[in-house]
Amino acid sequence: MIQLYRRLLYLYPAAYRREFGEEMTSVFSQAHPTAEQSFLPRAKFWQRELAGLLCGAAREHFHSFTGSYDWNASRRLNMRRFPRSTIVLMTVILVGVALTIEKARVVQIKYDGFSTTSVWDTFLGFLTFGFGVMLLAAVTGWAILFALRRTGMHRLSNVQTWQDHE
Amino acid sequence: MDPLPLTEPVLLVLLSLAEQPRHGYSILKDIERMSGGRVVLSTGTLYGALQRLLRQGWIERFEEDMASRDRRAYRLTSRGRRNLQMEVARMRHLSKLASLRLAGKEA
Repeated sequence: MIQLYRRLLYLYPAAYRREFGEEMTSVFSQAHPTAEQSFLPRAKFWQRELAGLLCGAAREHFHSFTGSYDWNASRRLNMRRFPRSTIVLMTVILVGVALTIEKARVVQIKYDGFSTTSVWDTFLGFLTFGFGVMLLAAVTGWAILFALRRTGMHRLSNVQTWQDHE
Repeated sequence: MDPLPLTEPVLLVLLSLAEQPRHGYSILKDIERMSGGRVVLSTGTLYGALQRLLRQGWIERFEEDMASRDRRAYRLTSRGRRNLQMEVARMRHLSKLASLRLAGKEA
C-alpha cells in the first residue's frame, strides 16, 4: 500500500514531491488503518486519500502553471489574453460555417433531387477526428517531455565543458 | 493584507498549531479530536494547507530530529498568530451578530 501511495505521489510536480514526498508517505503510513480493521473504514480511508491526492496534485499543477492558487484571479488573467469578444467572434464564425453547409445541402437537393450523404456526418466526423488527433498529439508530446525529464537531459545545458582559469 | 476568511482545513491547522508545535501526523489527529471526528483530513489536503501557510509565512518548519526528514515539525509564526487572532475576532463578531438577529426574529 505504501508503494502504491509513493507511486501516486508522482501526480504532484517534482519540486513539491521533493519537499513533502517523504513526509507525506510517513504520515500516510502512520494514518493507514491496520489490517484488523473492517473493509468500510479502509475503503473510506482510501477514498479520502485518493480524493485529497488528486485535488492536491491538480491544485499544485495549476499553481505551477499560473503562479496562483486563486482560480478567479487566474481566469481574469486568461481573459486578458483571450477576451470574451474572441469567443463571440468564434461562435459567429461557427454559426456561419454551419449555415453555409446547410445552404449547400439545400442547393444539392434542389439540383440533384436527392442527397447521397449527409454533410453533417462528414463535418461532425471531421471535428471529432481533429479533436482526437490533437489529443493524441498532446498526450504524445507530454509523454516525450516527461521521459526526457526523467533521463535528466534538461540538466545538460548546465554542464560546464571548459575549465576555469583563476 | 492577508486574505480572510480562511478555509476550514487551514483554520483547523492554525488552531492545532496555536496550542503547540506539531508534526504532520499529530496535526491530523489533533484536528480529528478537535472536531469530534467530523473533520478528517487526508495527507494531500493537510500538506496542501501546510505548504500555502509556509509560503505565506504564517507557519515555519523546524527539525525535531536532525537525522530524519519525516520528523519535521511546524509551529506558528508571530504573523500567523496575529492573523489567526484576527480571524477568530471576525468569527466572534459574526457569531454575535447572528445570535442577535436570530433572537430578534424569534422575539
